[in-house]
Amino acid sequence: METFKFFNWVKEYGWRHFVALIFVTFAIYPILFVVTNSVADFANLTNSKLIPEGFTLKHFKLLSSDPLVPYFKWLYNTYKVALIAAIFNVFLGTLAAYAFSRLQFKGRRASLLTLVIVQMFPSFLAFVAIYLLFFQISDIAPFMGLGTHFGLILVYLGGSIGFNSWLIKGFMDTISPSLDEAAKVDGATEYQIFRRIIAPLSRPILVVIFVITFIGIYSDFILAAIFLKDKNLWTVAVGINTVFIDDFNADWGVIAASSVIAATPIAVLFIFFQKQITGGLTAGSVKG
Amino acid sequence: MIYLSMALSKISRYVLLAIFNALIVYTIPLALTFESWFFLSLTLVIGILVNVVYFTDRFQPMKWILPGMIFMISFVVFPAIYNTFVSFTNWSTGHILTKAQAISVLEDRVFTPDDQKGLEFEMYILQDQDLKFYYVANLDSDNILFGRAVSDDEIFSTSYATHEPSLFINGEFSIPDGFYQLSGKEQIANSTTLQELSLVIDQNTRAQLYKISVFGASTGRLTSTSQLYTYDELNDVLINNATNSICPVIKDNFECDGNEIEPGWRVYVGGENYRKLFSSQRIRGPLNIVTKWTFQFALLSVIFSFAVGLLLSVILNKDGLKFQRIYRSVFILPYAIPAFVSALVWKGLLNPDYGVINSWLGPLYEILDVEPVKWLKTKESARSAVLLVNTWLGFPYMFLITTGALQSIPKELIEAAKVDGATGLQSFWRITFPLLMVSISPLLIGSFAFNFNNFTLIFLLSGGGPPIVGSEVSVGWTDILISFTYKLAISGGRGNLFGLASSVTIIIFALVLIISAISFRYTKRLERIYGNI
Repeated sequence: METFKFFNWVKEYGWRHFVALIFVTFAIYPILFVVTNSVADFANLTNSKLIPEGFTLKHFKLLSSDPLVPYFKWLYNTYKVALIAAIFNVFLGTLAAYAFSRLQFKGRRASLLTLVIVQMFPSFLAFVAIYLLFFQISDIAPFMGLGTHFGLILVYLGGSIGFNSWLIKGFMDTISPSLDEAAKVDGATEYQIFRRIIAPLSRPILVVIFVITFIGIYSDFILAAIFLKDKNLWTVAVGINTVFIDDFNADWGVIAASSVIAATPIAVLFIFFQKQITGGLTAGSVKG
Repeated sequence: MIYLSMALSKISRYVLLAIFNALIVYTIPLALTFESWFFLSLTLVIGILVNVVYFTDRFQPMKWILPGMIFMISFVVFPAIYNTFVSFTNWSTGHILTKAQAISVLEDRVFTPDDQKGLEFEMYILQDQDLKFYYVANLDSDNILFGRAVSDDEIFSTSYATHEPSLFINGEFSIPDGFYQLSGKEQIANSTTLQELSLVIDQNTRAQLYKISVFGASTGRLTSTSQLYTYDELNDVLINNATNSICPVIKDNFECDGNEIEPGWRVYVGGENYRKLFSSQRIRGPLNIVTKWTFQFALLSVIFSFAVGLLLSVILNKDGLKFQRIYRSVFILPYAIPAFVSALVWKGLLNPDYGVINSWLGPLYEILDVEPVKWLKTKESARSAVLLVNTWLGFPYMFLITTGALQSIPKELIEAAKVDGATGLQSFWRITFPLLMVSISPLLIGSFAFNFNNFTLIFLLSGGGPPIVGSEVSVGWTDILISFTYKLAISGGRGNLFGLASSVTIIIFALVLIISAISFRYTKRLERIYGNI
């Protein structure tokens, strides 16, 4: 009777656990491997043991002291660029979304359709043109040309505003129009309705859009790589993928440490907002 | 109060607009100077739009939309158009400048006419602590010139030689402090370098080392330089003053006596880039390989990650299963990590010599008696590795969306099928799966489109490699179209082929457009078919 019960369990549940465990290993092994190696005394690529002998923070210390690898400078650059771009992105996206959701005007449908069509082409596709454009801007306005964070932020701003205002507009449409009609009767201006009613009520989607945009810019490689040539201006994505190319085995501890620092905040942010992000991304886009 | 705040908002609006217009006005002459017509037109269009919208009250909605629109037009729409324009030019290394810029570079070149090579004198060669060379030219007792010896590239950024009579005491040369005098043998050892260097005396005159003497002082010679090329605007030819030959324009270069003169300039070349892509055997071949692999890569990535994601969500979609929450949170992890980190880590794991994957597979290699796989170094292993890692990256997303879709399928449908005698598998394939596809397929197409241009993974994991041998341009077996473009334009090691790269971008645009159109139609059709469930 006991064995029958066991077989029944295997048939109903056991095999599910078995398959799930295989994929748990697949999913988590590389991550654990990096995390443990980042604190391992003798970090190396070959040792498949997940529990290293000897605990050390020397790789992290090395990252903050090696003048050839200004890692924390890169980290600072990345947060700076991503934060500024994401904030302005959400701000401008919200303004546009308000008009699309609340104001009636000629060409509204056409503009919305244009947004959808434009957004099918990720902005980095035209990176050659962006490069040449900013190459020329460098002559005219060096402060926003190639090799500057300012120019890079401008490109990031353009990149996802369409998509963002589309999503925000969708959310604003769900806010009952009776609210702003009532305000209008009381003499509120367009700007007041936006500032006092619609924007505060849209906060949930604004937070999510901000997080998505922030993560997207943080993870971008191609635009940052063509823009930034000066080592001290690199973002993390460019930095760690440019510096660590040759001797992977010798550098593994440092590579692991830098990966952990670069990935952890984003992973935490992502897991925290996971439900909203995957909900918001039903338009079919996948995070970078 | 209200009037005051309105007046304030009006004033601040005008102040902002004034600053904006000042910027525009500042930019226009600069754009004119540098002849970037595209930049000029962009500036003008934006300038006019902003002023019309914010100075009048006629376009209320535009006041909200315009700021975002400017960025989208400037950095998404405009680059796409500009890209098309570039694809019809020869824009590439050696043809970066406009014709006027190229001419001004050429007119700065100098040469040394033969009849000017006269006057010989004593030269002393010194070196400072940074091993930089300095010349002392003893023209006569009144003219002792001293200064850094520079190459042609540095000539315009260096200062002229100075008079230093104090270097000679009673006609004897004395070495200044902090310098080292090269012996004759050392001069011979460095002669190739020294030949290229000159002491700049004034705009047109330099002193150069002429004869090295092993004993005693070496000999220098004065040379005067004059302008090498003069541009004849009337006949649109360049005149070489050294040989007196006339160099006509051949397409995008001047040509002197059968030699192309660098730099050339950029010109409109019509469909030449496209012709090259489709007819030059050594580019068409690789382009075919890359295009085919781009489709394979995107399709297989979607299939694999969807298969794994669906399998897991079906398995976990069981009431009473323990540890569900733990499983779910673990499965999300690969998706939560930025791809640029994952690619780096996987590159380490896959390292053929040290990587943990090969040390895991070691026993297997021994049993099968085969060589360890050279991950990322051969075509097959690189392609499998890229797909493996992309499955790892992508299955969590598929797991999340299929889980959501599975939970939204009404349980009654499955129950009803069970009552009718369907087995678990039958009801899955006949009911659950088709219903799932209705809501999932747009997302699958989205995922396909994303992977179609998944530059980060390809470029950071395999770098597109291993290289395809025999190709005219730098390209590898795992390159997808976008990474191929990147190599053509930025990092291929064969110069920057911006024009050619742009024409590949146009192909990508066309393919993305087709994919999106299919996606549109496909979702419409599915909605019609399953619309009434």
